Amino acid sequence: MTKNFWIGLIIILIIALAGVSYQKFWKNPRCAYDGSAIPLIYEVDIVLKDQSTRKFCSVFCATQWYKNNTHLIDHVVVTDEIRGVKIDSYMAYFVESELITNETNDNRIHVFQQRQDALTHAEKFHGAMTDDPFTLDE
Amino acid sequence: MIINVYTLIMLFVAFLSLFLGGFLFYAALKTFLDFEPTIPSETKSKLEQKGYLIFLLACVILSVRMLAWPWFYFMLQSFVSEVPGAMCIFGVTQILPATVTFLQIIKPVSFFMMGGWLLCYYVDKSTPTAPLTRMNLFFLLIVCSILLADSIADIYYVLRMKPLMSVSCCATFFDVPLRPSAMIPQAIFGRHFQKMLFIMYYLTNIALIVLLFATLSKKWPLLAPLPRKIILYGQAAIGIINIPVVIYAFIENIAPRLMQLPYHHCIYCLIGNGLVPDAPIMLGLFVMGTFAIGWMGILRLFCMVTETQMVTERLLVKVNNLSAFCLLASIAMVTIHLILT
Repeated sequence: MTKNFWIGLIIILIIALAGVSYQKFWKNPRCAYDGSAIPLIYEVDIVLKDQSTRKFCSVFCATQWYKNNTHLIDHVVVTDEIRGVKIDSYMAYFVESELITNETNDNRIHVFQQRQDALTHAEKFHGAMTDDPFTLDE
Repeated sequence: MIINVYTLIMLFVAFLSLFLGGFLFYAALKTFLDFEPTIPSETKSKLEQKGYLIFLLACVILSVRMLAWPWFYFMLQSFVSEVPGAMCIFGVTQILPATVTFLQIIKPVSFFMMGGWLLCYYVDKSTPTAPLTRMNLFFLLIVCSILLADSIADIYYVLRMKPLMSVSCCATFFDVPLRPSAMIPQAIFGRHFQKMLFIMYYLTNIALIVLLFATLSKKWPLLAPLPRKIILYGQAAIGIINIPVVIYAFIENIAPRLMQLPYHHCIYCLIGNGLVPDAPIMLGLFVMGTFAIGWMGILRLFCMVTETQMVTERLLVKVNNLSAFCLLASIAMVTIHLILT
């Protein structure tokens, strides 16, 4: 094997290490289900039993992940889309309406902290109140 | 049509290669039909000049055209923000799906054929008697036909591409339980197909690298013809098997692990979304390593005549080196990511 072969291999290894470092230290958090960017107003955080957090871009992605990992989950934090406040999912009001929050997955579930906001949204966008998607079926 | 720097460059290259490729096809066909092994000395110089110009033009067009393959994916990535609902290149491929599928198939085929032709031409050019000229002209006609089809499809796609419809997310195709990338390996390996695919990925790649290094060893010329043939056919066979194994292993195992998204199997997200910035290099090295095995096959098949044998053998060592390096580098990059991520 020539000297160039080893030099090339070392360059490739440096590129791979740089890629890993980027993923570990510099990359902005992405949706833990499909890897897309997370709009702050629709962010859903799933807190695991080991206190680590998984962030999601929409209720749709969070529920898909939730279904496969119920045994790991401690609680779910959602974002009120009017004020941007983070609240526990069991305290939030969920509305399914015609307004899409994320065109890539067609998510139509909206989150509100106050009941009045939820009702106003449902009326305005032809929707209806829906159950908390982050509860286990009995 | 979406106008940006990627589409403009793509259109320029496609039109250029269409016109020059058309002329090249005509000139190559005419020369091929008029070709005679023995010609009078008064017309020899004229034919040599004409042949030289044809081959020079072919080298330039094919070299430029080979770059159109990676450029095509840069262009598709630039459309992601324009297409409503698209999260990655998969969304873009939902618009004009038949044309995109055709382009995604013809581009690697044309890259492979053009690379093969350039190597054959190099062998012929390095020999004073140019014994492969007729074969190269015929090969050039085939390459030109592919080049023309590729260029026409590029122009059609760029001009017809309009982001008017909303498309679905890649998760609806790649992450459903009945996805083809899971069903086919499951039918072969059973329920634990993901583990088996992962083992197969390392087995086939390591076997291929070992066989490639075997032909580079000092003992290789001393081997009897039969073991040599077995090793060479083994390289070709494992090289072909390795293609689906790597594709399925990437979709089912490696991409979700590298992206740190255990339920997301989209290969386009891996290469285009910047989640794993060096993923295109990993896949590019695999492609080059695999194609180099095919190019060695072309060289052995067409360029092993008495006059060119020495040049071909020297070139074979270089291409073999390239293949071994690319496959080793690709597997090393994947392994580093799997261990450290």
